[in-house]
Amino acid sequence: MAGTGQILIPLLTGLADAAGLFFVASGLTVIFGVTRVVNFAHGSLTMLGAYCGWSLISRLPPTPLGFALGALATMAILAVIGAGLEIGLLRRVYRAPELFQLLATFGVVLMAQDIVQWLWGVEDLALRRPPWLRAFVTLGGARFPRFDLVVIALFPLVFLLLWLLFTRTRWGRLVRAATEDREMVAALGVDQRLLFTSVFALGAALAGLGGVLMLPDASANLGMDLTTVTDAFVVVVVGGLGSLPGAALASLLIGLLQAFGIMLVPRATLALVFVVMAVVLVLRPNGLLGRPPGRDGGGGEARALVRPAPAVLRRFGLAVLVLAALAPLFLGPYALAVGTEMLIAMLFAASLHFMMGPGGMASFGHAAWFGIGAYASAFAVHLLAAPMPLGLLLAPLAAGATAALFGAFVVRLSGVYLAMLTLAFAQIVWAIAFQWVDLTGGDNGILGVWPARWAAGPRGFYWLALALAVAGTLGLRVILAAPFGHALRGARDSRRRAEAIGLPVTAIQLAAFALSGAQAGLAGGLYAYAKGSVFPTYISLGHSVDALLMVLLGGVATMSGPIVGALAYTGLYDVLLSATSLWRLVLGAAIIVLVLAAPEGIAGGALKLWQRVRPA
Amino acid sequence: MTAETALLAVEDLATFYGRAQILHGIAFTCGAGEVVVLLGRNGAGKSTTMKSLIGLLRPAQGRITFAGTDITGAEPHRIARLGLGYVPEERRVFAGLSVAENLDIGRQAPRPGLAPWTPARLYTLFPNLAAARDRAAGQMSGGEQQMLAIARTLMGNPRLVLLDEPSEGLSPLIVEHMAAAILALKAEGVGIVLAEQNLHFAERLGDRAVVIEKGSAVWAGSLAALAADDAARQRFLAVGVET
Repeated sequence: MAGTGQILIPLLTGLADAAGLFFVASGLTVIFGVTRVVNFAHGSLTMLGAYCGWSLISRLPPTPLGFALGALATMAILAVIGAGLEIGLLRRVYRAPELFQLLATFGVVLMAQDIVQWLWGVEDLALRRPPWLRAFVTLGGARFPRFDLVVIALFPLVFLLLWLLFTRTRWGRLVRAATEDREMVAALGVDQRLLFTSVFALGAALAGLGGVLMLPDASANLGMDLTTVTDAFVVVVVGGLGSLPGAALASLLIGLLQAFGIMLVPRATLALVFVVMAVVLVLRPNGLLGRPPGRDGGGGEARALVRPAPAVLRRFGLAVLVLAALAPLFLGPYALAVGTEMLIAMLFAASLHFMMGPGGMASFGHAAWFGIGAYASAFAVHLLAAPMPLGLLLAPLAAGATAALFGAFVVRLSGVYLAMLTLAFAQIVWAIAFQWVDLTGGDNGILGVWPARWAAGPRGFYWLALALAVAGTLGLRVILAAPFGHALRGARDSRRRAEAIGLPVTAIQLAAFALSGAQAGLAGGLYAYAKGSVFPTYISLGHSVDALLMVLLGGVATMSGPIVGALAYTGLYDVLLSATSLWRLVLGAAIIVLVLAAPEGIAGGALKLWQRVRPA
Repeated sequence: MTAETALLAVEDLATFYGRAQILHGIAFTCGAGEVVVLLGRNGAGKSTTMKSLIGLLRPAQGRITFAGTDITGAEPHRIARLGLGYVPEERRVFAGLSVAENLDIGRQAPRPGLAPWTPARLYTLFPNLAAARDRAAGQMSGGEQQMLAIARTLMGNPRLVLLDEPSEGLSPLIVEHMAAAILALKAEGVGIVLAEQNLHFAERLGDRAVVIEKGSAVWAGSLAALAADDAARQRFLAVGVET
């Protein structure tokens, strides 16, 4: 009977995984459907659920009833936290552009990490497992944890309860109506604020349930926020944003795929999920059960024009540049190393800004191109024994070529789906770097990527980085002012109108995507030589998020935004890191304050101030 | 009728889309049981006026008084709860919800002095909806969706309804039906502000007309006066002077 077990056990494991995915993803999809907020903090809510659950359940009697009570209490606590988050923060940014809501939720992610660490410490917290939690059932000759059977049973139960809630109650009908057209719901006399707050509370409670149910098999840990939210995004996007049945279906698909994939292709499990997501999005751009996006601005929105910088700003920029070029004469090696990192960050942010701002394509996976550039340089050194100039040439070429290849799929989508597909590709690249140990060294990375002798000192490399970063950033600026840049912005503002006047929109966007990838690759190559090593973390979601934060902090609508944002972010990061152990708390709070106070970013806010001081 | 006694009084309304000014000082009133028609060409500002009244657009200037309350710049749900109903030009029915569910979304508490609308009463007014009550709104024809959009708004027991081009794109038979329904509402004492390009439809239903051109109210008076004023018809609407 061992044969049955070989199929049955992965099947059950897959179902248990699917259940866990569903609890978290259902909350995320419902929140997105109604509020249109891409809630990056959803993973943080799951993490909070796991930690709260651990604290409660550890203090309750070690019985099934105690566990159930602890889980329900956790859901209640998370519902309150979710409602508080909605009232305190998100309610104030609903009118802001989508990306600023995202930025605000990133701020929450950062703050939550430090708050959780401060309250519960850095150790992973595993639940003490009483006999009933350790129990196994024997199925087809193999053993399977009994608790996971409970989790599997909860999947259809929770789905059914949610289904009844959404179809049989007036609240549920209001939520479904608001998912389609929240403006019309308001015009019919429904107070959206109550609706949004309650939806957020429900979503957070579901995230909490997902967190608690992870405890018996795993533990509460500080990394689970980003891993959970990445998985949940995949489920929500594959299922179709805002679709509850879609989330259930996608959870099943991905849970089972992971369970069987580990048997079939054990070395590619990490990439498998994202490959599936990419395939689904390419075949069904709105997910399995998603609808085409409903009513939105329609593309007639007036945006800030790209104008040549005013003379004052140019003179200021030139002065800064001269100062930066002379810096090595009076700065020490540490300051120069920081300066080099800032310059690389600037190029990285400028490349993301190029596709996000003028290109209108927000990327959640921009670190992919940075990482490909870095690895290309490392391979050039180790496999080809190539000199540094060749390595630095290969970096943008490799990244640009890969971006052109992936971009062909990406530019067919728009909005959140586009951002998710870039995330999927980045995760695939990351998984390859992480799992293809023979080639990449896996987690240990590739060491010994040293620069040529003429650029080996901190001064020499600083000047090299300055030359390449400034040339790259200004190059992008020049392209934006050229006819290609006009066409790109035209395509962003209205794809259909741009097509109607004969612009090859897809080709233009693809070119912009590849160019942006190439510049990010150059930044990655520089970084590899600056650090002397490359690691999979260069491609991690966290690094992509760094780039997003830089661009959004600086302001998407201004050309100087990414420069200011990169310098502010890396500067703030370095200062905070050395000043306080709670740097994420401070950085997150700073981001949130900035979103509330200056939704145009630092450079955008400064521009507004400037215009107020000097009316045109 | 003066601004003080009218159910709805609009004074000097100005609204912007971004930086572009769409409305330049619209003013009119509408009383209970009265049908006021906003006439004007495409893009004249009729829909923008209605969106400003229901609060979906925030007026930059002017004053809107409804049922004795200043609603200028108020949130849409508060305005709707005072009894101002809005039926948008694009209908905007909830496509994934059934007809009965759409009606439920519009439901508000009964309003003193008005016979409360129930699904049963609305199914009598619009028999097509009764047969389709369990169907998804997105699967219905344009005419049925228009009926549903009106019925959904009536579930809120409005004192006054803003109807944005209800006859647009409908077959003559459905337009007849629509006209009968509007007259039935008027008979119940509901005030109606009707945006129209179809002058013949407007003339059958309207008591008074306001002609809007480039965001300004350029002519106001009874529809009978407009019918007699060939010059105004020619100038503002470029219709109706049959030779």
